[in-house]
Amino acid sequence: MKATLQRLALPALGFASLLLVWEIAGRIAGPALFAPPSSVAVDYVGLLRQGDMLRELSSSLRQMAVGFIAACVVGMPLGAVMGRSAVADAIFRPWVSMFVVTSTAALIPLFILFLGTGLMLRVTIVFLASVWYITLTTYNGARGISPQQIAVARSFSASPLQIFWKVTLPALYPYLLTGARIGIVHAIRAMVLAEMFVIIGYGALMHRSGLSLDTGQLLGLLITLMLVSLFFNWLLGATGRWLAPWYDQQRVTA
Amino acid sequence: MISKPDPSTAGLSLGGDAAVAGGLPARGDSILSRAVRDKRLLSIASVLFVIALWQWGAGHVSGFLLPPPAEVLSRFLDPKWLSRLLGALGQSLIQLGLGFGLTLLIAVPLGVLIGRSVILTRMFEPVINAIYAIPPVAFIPFLIVWFGLFLEARVALVFLMSVFDVLVIVIAGARDVRSALVDVGRSFGASHQQRLRLIVLPALLPFFFAALRVGSARAINGMITAELFFAAVNLGAIMKRATQNFDSATVLSVVLLICVLGLIAQSGIAWLERRVLHWHVRSA
Repeated sequence: MKATLQRLALPALGFASLLLVWEIAGRIAGPALFAPPSSVAVDYVGLLRQGDMLRELSSSLRQMAVGFIAACVVGMPLGAVMGRSAVADAIFRPWVSMFVVTSTAALIPLFILFLGTGLMLRVTIVFLASVWYITLTTYNGARGISPQQIAVARSFSASPLQIFWKVTLPALYPYLLTGARIGIVHAIRAMVLAEMFVIIGYGALMHRSGLSLDTGQLLGLLITLMLVSLFFNWLLGATGRWLAPWYDQQRVTA
Repeated sequence: MISKPDPSTAGLSLGGDAAVAGGLPARGDSILSRAVRDKRLLSIASVLFVIALWQWGAGHVSGFLLPPPAEVLSRFLDPKWLSRLLGALGQSLIQLGLGFGLTLLIAVPLGVLIGRSVILTRMFEPVINAIYAIPPVAFIPFLIVWFGLFLEARVALVFLMSVFDVLVIVIAGARDVRSALVDVGRSFGASHQQRLRLIVLPALLPFFFAALRVGSARAINGMITAELFFAAVNLGAIMKRATQNFDSATVLSVVLLICVLGLIAQSGIAWLERRVLHWHVRSA
């Protein structure tokens, strides 16, 4: 009982002190510079009632999902193959290393030239921002599979395909989920980046409230983004615990 | 809870075992089978192959939008252009240095402070994770309101984009210092300060380098993002102007420069890490 209380009380205290500092700073700065939480709460109800925010958010998220799922479909097998085959590693590693250090923002002007400013641009940017992290996480997992396990499977005369399905894939499983969790953070960042660059969708809402110096509304939009990101993270973590409760994800992540 | 940027995943390490595999003696067979054995050769072949394919595609496929690599490279290496590009980069590096310096100055001590205290970790880790979940680019409208459109705003964005990554890694490191090590120190009568200086800080160094690797990549990202989103200057201005003129060779030459900068930063930090941390074996 006391332990639970402590587990909940200390984070609550942390958030409370954040809100307090924010409230004081907001009162001093004024609503044009930094709206305090008390007035953000009022604005937030307005945002929810008005309906623009949730509508733009759902359409933006659907576009992001296309890019993110494509990134998983490409990145996970690529990472697994690179981790298990030295030849594939040598072939793809230079490209992955190059792309992962190249800032997504720098790619936007280039892809505007190729794809215009429509849906394809946003999907491509989300894809490019998340695929390399998913690949690298899977790659690290695939490299870490203990050779003994594979040797045991082989000595029981398992075929390469059986080894893949019964040994490699289950061992990779927590890394796939961690890769997806890291990937979704980058995907959401890229979504906002692309939308703010071409001023469309949810990004356009933020741009507009920034221009009109409506920091209450702007902070409300930020909080929604934060909740979305935390929700997806929780969702992927919960899915992992539900599908494979025997894996301790903390060990993979930390 | 936001997944932590795992030091090994975020490693972005370059050519790890290429060096190991490269030492095998060649037995005078065909280039192809030698390339399969010598992994470094294979990597180079892979890069050359794609560039050759790109060059061929640019010449033969109609409607191919990429300029041929030869054109990009000659643009990149044209001395007049390169000196302009490097001049702009020099200006950009000012905000990178200021912003990332500020990040290290604030995030490292703060991370150690929070990570070493159970109470502070419990209190502030959820708060930091929550703020970390907000895409930093979303703060740009704020930064414009507070700092305007010029150097201050750019420094602020570089700081904002790198500070949480560094903070999260340093907290994880400080929390996970093996308590057995600290206990040994205590039983040998080391004072609190001695334990911090002689045990905790050295144990933290691998995490510090992980934070440096991840943080510098994020800071470079912030550097170029800032130049595109605030008043377009330096490299950002070159890119924006070239985009308006549909000059994709120029845009690509800037992308290439940023890519090279990122690779230099990563391998520089990896080199430093090997020098400083020769006693520490990085797993995987």
